[in-house]
Amino acid sequence: MPPSRCLFTFRPTFRPTATSQLPPTCLLRKPCTPTSTPQTASFSSSSQLFARKGKGDKGDPRITSIRYHLSHALTPRPLRLSRLRALRHWTIHRAWQLHRNKQRAAAELTLEKQYASMRAACEALRLIDENGLTVPGGSGLSVGEEGYGGGVGVNEAKGVKGEGRNVGRLYRAAMDKTGVWDGVPIEYARCQTDFPAREGWNHGWTR
Amino acid sequence: MPIGSRRRRAALKDSLNIPFEQLPYQCFQDARKVLQDDRQEKIKQIEVARLRIANLKAQDEAISGGKQAKENRLRSMHNRLEELKILADINDPVVKKKHEDGEGDMNKPIYRYLADKQWRQYRRKILEQRISQLNLVPDILPNLDPVAEVDLAFGRHKIPHGDFVDSLISENVPRLKVQVFDKGERLVTVVVVDPDVPIVQRDGFDYRCHFIASNIPISPTSTSIALNQLDLRVKDASAKHIALPWLPPTAHRGAPYHRLAVFLLRQADGKVIDTAKVGDSTKRDGFILRSFMDKQKLTPVGVTVFRTKWDENMAGVMQRAGLGDQVNMEFKRKRVEPLPYKKKDGARYR
Repeated sequence: MPPSRCLFTFRPTFRPTATSQLPPTCLLRKPCTPTSTPQTASFSSSSQLFARKGKGDKGDPRITSIRYHLSHALTPRPLRLSRLRALRHWTIHRAWQLHRNKQRAAAELTLEKQYASMRAACEALRLIDENGLTVPGGSGLSVGEEGYGGGVGVNEAKGVKGEGRNVGRLYRAAMDKTGVWDGVPIEYARCQTDFPAREGWNHGWTR
Repeated sequence: MPIGSRRRRAALKDSLNIPFEQLPYQCFQDARKVLQDDRQEKIKQIEVARLRIANLKAQDEAISGGKQAKENRLRSMHNRLEELKILADINDPVVKKKHEDGEGDMNKPIYRYLADKQWRQYRRKILEQRISQLNLVPDILPNLDPVAEVDLAFGRHKIPHGDFVDSLISENVPRLKVQVFDKGERLVTVVVVDPDVPIVQRDGFDYRCHFIASNIPISPTSTSIALNQLDLRVKDASAKHIALPWLPPTAHRGAPYHRLAVFLLRQADGKVIDTAKVGDSTKRDGFILRSFMDKQKLTPVGVTVFRTKWDENMAGVMQRAGLGDQVNMEFKRKRVEPLPYKKKDGARYR
């Protein structure tokens, strides 16, 4: 038994003319056996549409579109190129890939250079004292090491008073992260989660 | 058969015959220009790499951090150089076309690289499958990593790896087509081993050596080894290639098939094998390839295999090979006495 009436039309010889009385949007699963459906033209095996040539309705638009999409695949046909044309195609493709590769490498190099220069600037700031001079002997140390200049508390730990107070002050100021999120709406900082929150909406929230 | 329709061929014949690189398509020409610029860049890099290698070679070991470190660095620099040589040509459409047409010059690294890649894509995979299916690896050698393509043919008959060969065909000496993918000339030894010789007394199987030929020069361009013509021109007894001449593969009636594995073994650099001595000292029956390789300092580079079994021509082949007494020998399965068991009551099954 067909599930819905629109499938009937795929069998043109048995197309029941009575179904055209139903509204076109009817998708109800009606149990309709061939015996229960009355044929209006019982003497003819062909449908009425054949008789009215040309001016009959074109059928259900949904069926037309289904048929269209069944016979017209979404994927275009594969490229069929001749030998030399395929080779030209390949050449252009390789050149394009090479170009993209070079662009990517250049972008990475720029980033690397920027990072390195920022790092060098921070290192210079770390070793600068209040007079704007580089602390002697500090250049040989890397950022992480406990050096002469640099982070908070180094000089206190060493028991040096006053002398290195301002060494690396600009570095510490640069490393200070307070206020970097100022001006950014807090909603943008909310991280994405796999599941919704237990309370979906915070009704009490105000800015 | 000519390619293309008659109409197309006529049109092509009348048109001016422009070489492929000069075809007047703007995008294509621009792409070629990009690729050529890249090639010039790569060539410059190659020159720099060569200069650096030369500098490092001239450097004192103490400066470059010891002998081991210097060798390691040299090796990695050489690898980089080879890589650059391939990168310089890999984007060339003419190179690709020549490779696809089989006209590549195997003396050039790019064509060797492309051929190797093509071989590994499909044909080597089949070879690997045959090696594992026919159990060559645990049976004859502990491990095997083929790096050279070996094709076997008896006269006109090309034999795919692992195929059954009629005994009349395999009575003659085969010829090999060997393609190596690394540069330079080297000496190889060809050994044919049959690991399936039945030993009745032991109720087991043993090895037999069917052929040994040594000191065969092979390079990427000289690919053919006609094993039957190896010693035709050689007059000097010490320069003979063949240590053990071809013994036609045989199988007895009723016995399982025999695998005939053809090994291509690379000789150590500059080592020439004394074939007369090898021929005298090597016994065909009970030949162990592993100890032979250890003794002669050989490394396996290529392999192929074919199979043989009893067929209608085998009796004649055995007669001619001097095994006439074994022609009528037939192997049969030993009858396994059924275990005593009580017949069950037939009524249960009704």
